[in-house]
Parts: sequence; C-alpha cells; structure tokens
Amino acid sequence: MNKPLEIVVVGGGTAGWMSAAALAGVLTRQQVSVRLVESDEIGTVGVGEATLPQMKEFNDYVGIIESDMMRKTNASFKLGIEFVDWGNKGASYIHPFGAHGKPTGSIAFHHQWVRALQAGRSYNIEDFSYAIVAARRNKFEFPAGDQTAVNSTYSYAYHFDATLYARFLRDFAEARGARRTEGKVVDVALHPESGDIASIKLQSGESITGDLFIDCSGFRGLLIGRDPKNGYEDWSRWLPCDTALAVPCARAGQFAPHTRSTAREAGWQWRIPLQSRTGNGYVFSSAFISEDAAAAALMENLDGAPLGDPRLIRFKSGRRLKSWRGNCLSIGLASGFLEPLESTSIYLVQMAIVNLLKLFPRNPIDPILISEFNRLVDLEYERVRDFLILHYYVNTRDDSEFWKYCRNMDVPDSLREKIALFVHRGHIEKYKDGLFAPPSWLSVFLGQGLRPKHYDRLADNMEMSAMIEGLDTVRRSIRERVQAMPDHDAFVRDYCPAAVSDRPHAMMGAHA
Amino acid sequence: MQQNSIRNIVVVGGGSAGWMTAAALSKVIGTQNYSITLVESELIGTVGVGEATIPMITLYNNVLGLDEDEFVRETNATFKLGIEFVDWRRLNHSYFHPFGLYGVDMDGIGFGHHWLRWMKGGGNPDMGLFNAETEAARQRKFMRTPEQKPQTLPKINYAFQFDASLYAAYLRRYAEKRGAVRIEGQVVRVNQNAESGFIESLDLKDGRRVSGDLFVDCSGFRGLLIEETLQAGYEDWSHWLPANRAAAMPCARAGDPIPYTRATAREAGWQWRIPLQHRTGNGYVFSNAFISEEEAMQKLASRLDGAAMAEPRILKFVTGVRRKCWIKNCLAIGLSSGFLEPLESTSIHLSQVAIAKLLTVFPKNGFNPALIDKFNREMQYEYSSVKDFLIAHYCVTEREDTEFWRYCKHMDIPDSLKARIELFKTRGEVLAPPAELFKETNWFAVLYGQGIVPDDYHPVADVISDHDLKTRLARIRSGVQDRVNGMTSHQAFIDRHCAARPGEMSA
Amino acid sequence: MSQPIARVVVVGRDAAGWLSAFALQRAFGRTGLTVQVIELPSQLSAADVYAALPTLSNLHRLLGLDENEVVSACAGVYVQGQRFSSWSRSKPDFMHAYDTQGVVINHVDFIQYWVKARAEGLAVDLEDFCLGAAAAKQNRYVLSKDTTEAFSNAAHGIHLNARTYVRLLKQCALKTGVVSTVGQIASVNRSGASIQSVVLSDGQIVDGDLFIDASGVEAVLIGAMPEAPFESWRHWFGADRIMVASGKRLTPLPAFSQISAYSNGWIGLYPLQNRTGMKCVYDSSRQSDERTAEEIGLTTGMRIESEVVVAPLQSGARARPWVGNCIAIGESAVVLESLDAAYLHVIQLGLSRLIAFFPVEADALVEADAYNADIAAHVRNIRDFQIAHYKLNQRFGEPVWDRARDMNIPDSLVYKLNLFAHRGRVALYDHESFEIENWNAILIGHGLMPRTYDPLADALPRAEQIGKFKGMLHFIAEEVRTMPSLDAHLEIHAPYTGAGAK
Repeated sequence: MNKPLEIVVVGGGTAGWMSAAALAGVLTRQQVSVRLVESDEIGTVGVGEATLPQMKEFNDYVGIIESDMMRKTNASFKLGIEFVDWGNKGASYIHPFGAHGKPTGSIAFHHQWVRALQAGRSYNIEDFSYAIVAARRNKFEFPAGDQTAVNSTYSYAYHFDATLYARFLRDFAEARGARRTEGKVVDVALHPESGDIASIKLQSGESITGDLFIDCSGFRGLLIGRDPKNGYEDWSRWLPCDTALAVPCARAGQFAPHTRSTAREAGWQWRIPLQSRTGNGYVFSSAFISEDAAAAALMENLDGAPLGDPRLIRFKSGRRLKSWRGNCLSIGLASGFLEPLESTSIYLVQMAIVNLLKLFPRNPIDPILISEFNRLVDLEYERVRDFLILHYYVNTRDDSEFWKYCRNMDVPDSLREKIALFVHRGHIEKYKDGLFAPPSWLSVFLGQGLRPKHYDRLADNMEMSAMIEGLDTVRRSIRERVQAMPDHDAFVRDYCPAAVSDRPHAMMGAHA
Repeated sequence: MQQNSIRNIVVVGGGSAGWMTAAALSKVIGTQNYSITLVESELIGTVGVGEATIPMITLYNNVLGLDEDEFVRETNATFKLGIEFVDWRRLNHSYFHPFGLYGVDMDGIGFGHHWLRWMKGGGNPDMGLFNAETEAARQRKFMRTPEQKPQTLPKINYAFQFDASLYAAYLRRYAEKRGAVRIEGQVVRVNQNAESGFIESLDLKDGRRVSGDLFVDCSGFRGLLIEETLQAGYEDWSHWLPANRAAAMPCARAGDPIPYTRATAREAGWQWRIPLQHRTGNGYVFSNAFISEEEAMQKLASRLDGAAMAEPRILKFVTGVRRKCWIKNCLAIGLSSGFLEPLESTSIHLSQVAIAKLLTVFPKNGFNPALIDKFNREMQYEYSSVKDFLIAHYCVTEREDTEFWRYCKHMDIPDSLKARIELFKTRGEVLAPPAELFKETNWFAVLYGQGIVPDDYHPVADVISDHDLKTRLARIRSGVQDRVNGMTSHQAFIDRHCAARPGEMSA
Repeated sequence: MSQPIARVVVVGRDAAGWLSAFALQRAFGRTGLTVQVIELPSQLSAADVYAALPTLSNLHRLLGLDENEVVSACAGVYVQGQRFSSWSRSKPDFMHAYDTQGVVINHVDFIQYWVKARAEGLAVDLEDFCLGAAAAKQNRYVLSKDTTEAFSNAAHGIHLNARTYVRLLKQCALKTGVVSTVGQIASVNRSGASIQSVVLSDGQIVDGDLFIDASGVEAVLIGAMPEAPFESWRHWFGADRIMVASGKRLTPLPAFSQISAYSNGWIGLYPLQNRTGMKCVYDSSRQSDERTAEEIGLTTGMRIESEVVVAPLQSGARARPWVGNCIAIGESAVVLESLDAAYLHVIQLGLSRLIAFFPVEADALVEADAYNADIAAHVRNIRDFQIAHYKLNQRFGEPVWDRARDMNIPDSLVYKLNLFAHRGRVALYDHESFEIENWNAILIGHGLMPRTYDPLADALPRAEQIGKFKGMLHFIAEEVRTMPSLDAHLEIHAPYTGAGAK
C-alpha cells in the first residue's frame, strides 16, 4: 500500500502526454511513479486539433493554466463547428457550445420554435444561440458569470497545435516528476499464467517493468493489441471513412472562433484556425475516392498557401472490446478510433484518464475496477458513435455514391429510435452525464434537415403572442450583446499571443 | 433642623415592611456607627396573608446577600412564573401574565408587533407559545436558568410565593444577627420637638422611652407616625379601585404546588390562590358596597380546593397613597405609605423600592428637603403607575354580569390610562416610559389578555417577507420548547434544592 | 388525420387517480384537453398514511399546491429521512437521510476518506457527517441557507394523512376543471389494444382517446390486456400482506419515518401531527393477523389505538405499463413494498414521464415504447434499492431473513454491491431515482463495509484529514443547534387545526 504504483505510458503524443501530465499533476510521488516511453522516430499524428469545453475542467483538475497553455500551443478559441454542405449542398449550420434560447419552465426552447414555425413564423434557430451568432461574426469573449445574463448561455473550447500541445504537456509532466525515456518498444513480455504484462523491451535492450501499462501507442496498440482475445469492434459499416490527408496552410481569410467541416464527395474536410496558420484535412472513404483525387480536392480548397505536403493517415473506425485488460489500459487511438468530426478525440482521452483517476487501483489491480472502467468508457464511445453516424445518415445529397451509401446504411437501433422520436415530436433524451447534451443533438438534427412533425404540447400553454414576444426579445438581446463583443483576433492577441513561432512538423511516415 | 449627625434609627412596626427595612439597614449601613431599633408588638397581629412577589425581589435579596435556597426553605416558599387571570375578561376565559419577555425584539421594534402581524395573518392567537415562563407554567415545570455560555435559550424569570410571617421572622433573625435590636412593646405616645415638629422619641406602654433621629413608620394602615402624628393626608383611589376588604384563609394543599399565582375574578372582586410548600393561601378581595363581609367569607370558604386550615380573617383597607411618604424625619414604608390590592403582587416590591430609595438618599447630618421632595415625588409616581395598571384589569372587561362589573366596566378612568388603552387599540403598544415598573410586555399581556386586539401594528413589522417572519418565529418557538423540555417539574425542583423541613409550619 | 388527444379518461381511485387527473389537467387543460375521472371506491382506511420522498414537492409545484398548506390540512409532518432499526442484530440502527455525507476533498469523494479513517480506528459513523441525518436524529427541521448549501443538500420528505390528502387533491382537481363520476366499471369496449370506451355499472358509456388505469392492484383496464402481463417479484419480496393501524401522536415529533425489522417482516411508524401511522408488512403464511397486531405493539412499544386493517400485497411490475391507448399509473403498473416511500414516487414518475411523452397524435401512439423503456429502467433501479435492504440483512436464524439473505438477486444489483463492497463506489445506471448518497447511506447502514478505499485519499495528510473531519462535525453540531424543532416549525408554518382540507 505504501509503495507508489509504477505506471508506464507507452507512446507520446496527445494521449500519452495527457495521461502522464494528469497522473503527475494530480497524484503525489508517494502515490505514483510515471514513466513515458516514446520515440522521436515515430511521429505522432498531430493534425491541428479542436477540442470540447470539457477540456477546461480537465485543465483545472490537473493544474494547467489556460492562457499559458494557449500561448504555448498556437491556440485559438472555439465556439462550435460549422457544418457546410452536410445534409444537402448549399446548407450551412453551426453546432454550438451552448443552449438555444431559454426553456420556459419544463418546456425546452425548441418546442416554442417549432410551434412558431407551424404558425407561420419562421425563425432561424441559429439566431437564438449566442455562441452561433458570435461565431458567425468572428467575435469572442469569456462567458459572463451572472447566470441571468444572455452572454452566460455558452461555453467554449480551443483549437491548438497537437504537437505543441504534447510538448507543453511533456514539460508540465516532467516538471512534476514524470520521466521520459527515449526508445522504441520492440517486445512485450507477459506473465505466463495471468497474461499480464511483465515488462516491455526497448530497441536499446532496456527492459522496463511496471504495475500498470498505459498503451498510448496509437493505432498499433502495441500492448493492448497483443491479446488475441481482446479484439477490435469494427464500426466501419456505419462510419465508412478510413483515410485522412492532413496539410497546414498559411493563415488567410477570417480568424474564425470555430472549426469548419465541409462535406465533400466522399467524406469531409476540416479547417482548424490556429494563431499562425490553419490546419486542414480531408477525411474520406478510400472505397469511394482515390487518394490522389482526395489530395487534389484538399489542395484545391485551401484558403492560404500550403505549408507542406499532405500527410496520409489510415484508420479504421471502431474500438477495442476492452479498453482495459489486466494491467494494460489503452487510451487514445490505441483504445478506439472515431473520426474527429465532432472533435471528440481529446475528450475521449480525457474521459478515460478521469475514469482511471476515479477508479485508481492499488497493486494487485482488482478486476472490478477494470469492469467499471470499461462499462463507463464503452457507454461514452457508443453515444459519441451514434452522434457521428447521425451526421452521415441524415442527408439528402444524391450527388455521389458515398452519400447514397450513407443515406441507406443500417444504423444502430438506438440511433434509429432517437431520430424517430425527434421527427415525431421534437423529443431529445438528456443523459445524466457525458456527451452529447440536447443542444448538440438539436443543432445537428435541424442542421441536417430534420423537422419535427409535432412539438411538445406543453408549449401550447404559452399564449402565442407572449411566446413570440419572448422569442423576439431573446433574439434581439443576443444580437445586441454580440455586437458589443471584441473580435476573436484582437482577443487572442491580447490574452494569449503565441509564444513560439511556428515550426514545421517533422515528417511522419505512414502507419498501418 | 438637627445639627447632630443621624445615628439612631427607629422602625415602628414589625411584619414584612418593618423587618425588610431593619434587615436592609443592618446590612447596608450596619450597626457599628448606627443603632437600629425595631419596636413591635406581638399583640398587634401582622397581616401575613401568603404573599406573592415579582422578580425584583431578587435585587433586594442580593443586597442582603441571601442564599436563595435557604431563603426559600425558611419561608416555605414556592416559585412563581407569573399570574393566571381567570374570568377577568369574561367567564370561562383565562390568560397568563408571565414574567420575562415574549419572543425577541427584532429590527428595532417590540416582538409584539411581529407577533401581531403573524397572528392577524392567521397565526395562532396564543402568545404564550413564545414565552418560556408561560409554557413552563402550563406544564407545571420550573428551573433556574443554568449558567451557560453562550446563552442560546431564553432565560427563566421568576419570583417567589411565600409565607409572609415566616419571611418577616427570617429577616428578623437576619437583622438581629447584625445588631438590630427588637423592642417588644406598644407605642402609646409620640413625642415631637416643639419647634421643628421632628419626632424625638416614642413612649411605650410599659413606660420605656425610645429615642431616635430617623423614624421609619411601618405601623400599617393607621400610619401611627406619618398620618396620626404628622398628618400627611391620604389620596383616596377607591373610585377607581373599589375593593376595600380582603377575606383571607389558608387551606390544605391539593397536590403538588403550581409555579404561579391564580387570580380569579368573582362577583364583587377577585380571589387569590397562592400555593406554598405546605399549604395554600387564599383570599377574596372585595368591595363591601357590592357584597357583605359575611357572604364574602362564605363564598371564599366554599371555593377552596383543600380543607380549610383556619377561619377566614377580614382586613379592611382603603386603596390610595399618602400624599407625602416622608415628612421631616419620618418616612412611611409598607401599608403606612399606601395601599394597592395585591392583584399584581406589588406590595413587597413597593416597600423594597422605598427602602432602596431611602438607602440612596440616606441622610448623614441633616435632612435635605430637596431629597425628601424627590423621595415623595418618586413614591407617588411608583404608586400611581401601578394603580393605572391595576385599573386596566377592571375597566377592560367584557363582563357585565354583576353590579360590581358593570361599575368597573363603565367607571371613569384616569386620562393617562385612557390614552394608553387607545394607543394600544390602535397599534399594539403603550410606549411606557422606562422608569415605570410595568413595561411594554406587561401591558401587552394584560390588555391583550383582557380582550383588546390591536387594530394595527408598527409598520417596520411588515418589512420582512412572510417566510422570513415564520422562520424567525419558528426559531423562537423552538427555543422556548427546548428550554421547557429541559425543565423538571416544579415539585421535583423544590425537592432537590430547597424543600422546607417538615414540621416548620407557620403560625 | 393526426388529431391531438382531446379526452383523457382516468379510471382510478385515491392518490393515483386524483394525482393523475390533476396533473394532466394542470399540464394540458388549457390546450384543449378534457380530463374525466371515473372514481372507483377508495381503498384507504382512516389509518392510512402516505409517506413521500422529497421529489413529491416537484409534483406539488407543478400542481400549484403550497406544500405548507397541504401539510397543514393533512396533519402532515416533514421528515429528513428514514431510520432503519433491527435489520442487523449486532449493528445499531442507521438513518437513511435525504442528504449527502461530508464534502468532496481534492476531487475524491468523502466516503473514501471515511472508509480509510474507519480502518485506522475512527469510531464516527458515516451518517454523522450528514447534516440531514443529524437534524433528523434531533427532531429538527433543516432550513437551508448560504452556509449550509455548500455542505449539504438536505431535502424534506413528507407524511400525510392519506384520506385527507386524497380529498384535498380531489377538491383542487375539480376546481381546475376535471370532471368526475363516481362509479364502477362493468365492461370495456376495445378492439385489440385500443380502448374506445368504458361502460359503468349504471350503464353510462364514457368515451376517450387516452385511458389512464389508476385503479391500483385491481388494474381494471390494463389487467385485461394480454400484452401487459404482471411479473411477480415474490421471489425477492416474500411478504404477502400489509396491516395498517394508528397509534397516538408522538411528542416531540420525530423528524423521520421509523422502519423496524422483526422476525417475519418489518413495521413502519409514520408520525403525523395528530397521530402516528403504523404499517406492518409480513408473510401471512408464517404469522397470523392477530399475532401481527401484537407484534406491532411489541416492536414499537406503542398501543394500537384504532381499528386494524389488512390488505393483500403482491410485489411486481408490468414490463409494459403503456399498451395501446391505456397507461397504468401507480400500483396498476408497479407494486413495491412501501419501504423507501416509493409508492407515491412511482406514481409521480409515471406521470412526469407521461407528461414528457404525452402523445401528440391521438391515433399513433408512437411514444409508448420510449415511455415503457424509461419507466422499466427507473423501476428496476428502485426495485434493486429495495432488494438491497433484504439482501444485506443481518438477522440470522430467522427463516424470512435467512431466505432473503440467500436469495439470488438481479445482476444489476450484484454489480452495484460488488463494486461498493470492494471500493465504496456506487455505479449509477441511467434512470436512477436514488442518488449516490442514498445508496451510500443504506449500504453502509446495513454493514456493507468497503474492503478498500480510493488510494487518492492517501494524499491528504492524516493531521489535515482529522482537522477537516472535526471541522465538519463541529459545523454540523453548530448548525443543528440553530435549527428550529420540527414541532415549532410545523406550529408556525403548517399547523394542523383539525379543520381538514380547505
């Protein structure tokens, strides 16, 4: 009980260093010793990353100062994601961080909106989201503390350079006692009876033992993938994209406080604005478009000069049957992959780390903690998966085979039921914890073109003219307040100007 | 005008007044440099009717340094939390006038106003719920407030109900132990200085002469010195307080003594019930204009809750006050200075107030007319304010079922009292000046108990929200309950601390 | 084509019937809905008491009822929790308070520090760190204020005189426009799962779009539907009878319900302002009614001062309380022992979910499946909470209790108990009615002491931990001292005047 738990993190990058930073930041040296093994040779995926508002809680928990982090990672603010050409070509909607309007009693806002629509008053739902209105005007400031103020109804996240972020976390972790070992893992020795990992062997010949091994080695899953019984649940029939091409370009055009995702012929293209450049990528299904065609499409659609050649990453949507087995716990891409359509990668890493801290084991590790961890993690993955599938499934594009496939695929029952209930009566289920909250589902349902046939009857209790007046008031107060906000650009330059000038990425090889 | 210093003090008359005076003097000025002589005759009976008191008596007891438990034991006393007034407002109605305070004054105004707001909003009309003494009395409980820091629960204010003759005897022992001298004898002549008129000496029946510099007249109603000799004059108040007789008789106790006095309104006056440790004192205070002495005594005897232990005695009196209580070198203390019926147990208090005032202005080398005037004015004020309070019990009534009550209900009352009653009816306060004995809370208890429901209350009481008001009241109520729940029964308390030794019965 | 629901017919009685009608009328009465009640004969006796969890106040708010007025009219009492006695022979009683225990320290739940401290010799119970429990034990009423809000989440359940409550609900419901007919159901006109109308015994035919079966265990409507079988839970809840009686009013008023186990079942005491409700749940095959009545007196030390009323009990639930256009609310849907004040909660749950899923089309009741799944999940979790009491009992050598301890329990509960037994952590699923603090209270109360604790608790130095613990206990003691007694609070805020419902 008194000996610190020896944790060995295999792999750097965001997952590895977030794990190391959290463990070293939250726990004492009496409780844990953290060692991270990474190889400079093996590049990390680092594609210019967008995040979710939960990152703030994580930073607070671990002890990371926001402005410090942002300065050192070339970061900008994010109020949501703009989806262009999803659902159908020519459409654009934003999935914001924050509520639409305000509920009246127990009646969610959007029922009022639907009622108005059916009465002939067609409002744009986006006018009722503070985050959206601000995002479209490229404004940013911190939300007000006063819960009654109209500018308290949103939250925010960050865009940053993932490589710089990993570097930042590494400095943070090492300052708190985490040890980094340069090296490539070439072999894993298992205990004969239990199948647990006894040690890992590096190319240098060094052998490293540990009580708990955290596999952050990415797709390869060097450790977690060893166990033939711990297979990979394939989700590619629902999320057919399997390749990404990523390229940074010079900063140009608006310095938007939001990510953009533009639907393309066989997938979608991301645009992530950082302080000194813009990150871009095309996520596509190789069954529906060739790599060359995809690369060409990507390069044609940059709004600034490219700062390098596109990097190729192959992946398979899905996840490990068990994220944690024995004394090996996988975090990040080693535990599963869901495309960054809703910026969930880092969130899923954070979620796993937080659950590990909640269920922190002693030595020997009790299987019941492992079961509970897996139960919690599985639930989150499934919910995020369903939410992503929604974006593909509900579309009316008939301009490519890819979109036709998506429109016709057999989706999970859980998602089908959700869609049916929304279409029938605008109902959105609210979870106790975890992603995604009703405002997210609402913006994507509506953004992708669904309209509820009916609204919650409780909304009829409001007198129509009073309701309309209420809607008008909210819309107006949002507009007025947003007008007074500072520009995103000015705000960032003032709050967290980048500390490092941009460095070109080390060239990465492709990974299978 | 005397040139010599004042050294010899003579108290004429025993009883509680005389011995309270002697005891206090013997303690405070002592007998080293003074002589304190008390002249009394056992032949002249003392009134001693079983006496109830008010908490101020503790001040007096403290001056004497009395041990309370010893005092209670020696006088067969019980504790008193207040007075229950039965049938005063109307038949089959009673209210309690407690010691202590109702609730807690808040936001700069009296509790009564907050309570009125709540009561008028539908709250329980029983104000006693917010007074620990009332609740304890209802449950026949008693306890002295334990020392405790901080004091989070309400204090218990109390007084005593004792055998007045035992009290006198107790104080006599006290005084004599400190050098006061008792002379058995009857005064037959009072000798005055020819020029000044100052009293120089008293001649007793057996021929002795008692000289003195300062004389205290405790001779009772007759006022041997103050009235018969110095002709102070008497202000008669019987048109406002028509009772002029009291029939008193003791009876056996009926169960454990209750920790309060009961005053029950009767056809031509009222009846007291004062429980002592060993018996119960009873009396019928009445006006012989409305009932004969015979009938009154019969009525009294028929309304006892225990076997009579003696024949009833009749006392005659005239309610009123000496026009001057201090003339030249003689002051009157006790019944000689004035009389107010014991409706609110004020007799002993008024004597003790006079004693306190005497000690305050105690003369050294001569008699200062200014101080004497002050004494007289203040004693007048004391008596007058108590008088008004007593009248209120009579004039504010719904009873008209006998001639006596019809008289009381419709009699002319002092303007000062009229104004006070009107103010209370308007806004639930009387604005009693601080020097008066009976405070805002006492007036509230009696006027409300007698049937006046104020039309309104102080506006500041409306400031806080309904919820906040109820929250405060619930806390206060809870404090009262907690205090009373922690109390033992009255009898158990007496048994534990101050039970009179058996066989110590009064004369 | 797609018409909205116009007419709801509530066939029911007592609280289930009137709460259903009242709630639906309040929610939708102004949107063109009419609510008609077919009032079946009451099954309440004069001795019945409704005990409710804090969540009932949400329903009262929806209904526009002032809680103090309800309590006042129904001789009601506010309670801070339930005290369980004699469920273990060796351990003392414990309080399941409606409040959290301790505070989170350095992101680690308080219970972890407590488990650790216990292993190191701390003699203080977990519930002593719970403000609500401390208040309950001293019969105080918790007033929440700024200083307590950071530390405690104390909420109040209530006890109400059942008949008066029902009368009050009825009066209020009728005032809002609910129409009522007293009667009995003679027959039901339906085709498949769709009810067109019900026929009363006097011949009246009552049409409706939607039918609520709030008839209790009689289940006059849903019971006839083949698609809605009632699944018995006899294997978990062996009792088959309830006895109800009344005792004298307790002074001072206790601020909690009292649940005492005895050889053949358990006996509940539910204080009211003018009497105390008594309830015994037992296995009639092991004990006669006469013996049960005696047992009530023996266990509680109180005399029965009323008639004794007996009714059968059959625990269980329908997997599908909503079939066709018929929705079962209350015991027609779920029957649980009244151990955790679940009776009214289950009604409230059924109603709040129904309002959330109120069908938008009269002829396409799409919402039924979602409703059934939601209710089933909630009910499962409440059932598990109740089973836990029985499973964890420590009364050895008594057939009823030995059997309870040995019985197989649902996997969902097995998982929860295992995780807690190992690590003092409560695994919450979706749709739980009880929070972590409630589970903590009963699991620890019944003696399920976690074998290990969260190692992150070790980061707090011992001296500091002792300081924080002392600080909490001191804070609780100080706060409780300033609270009014329950008696005083009720006297001022909600006195029972004997006038009955207004």
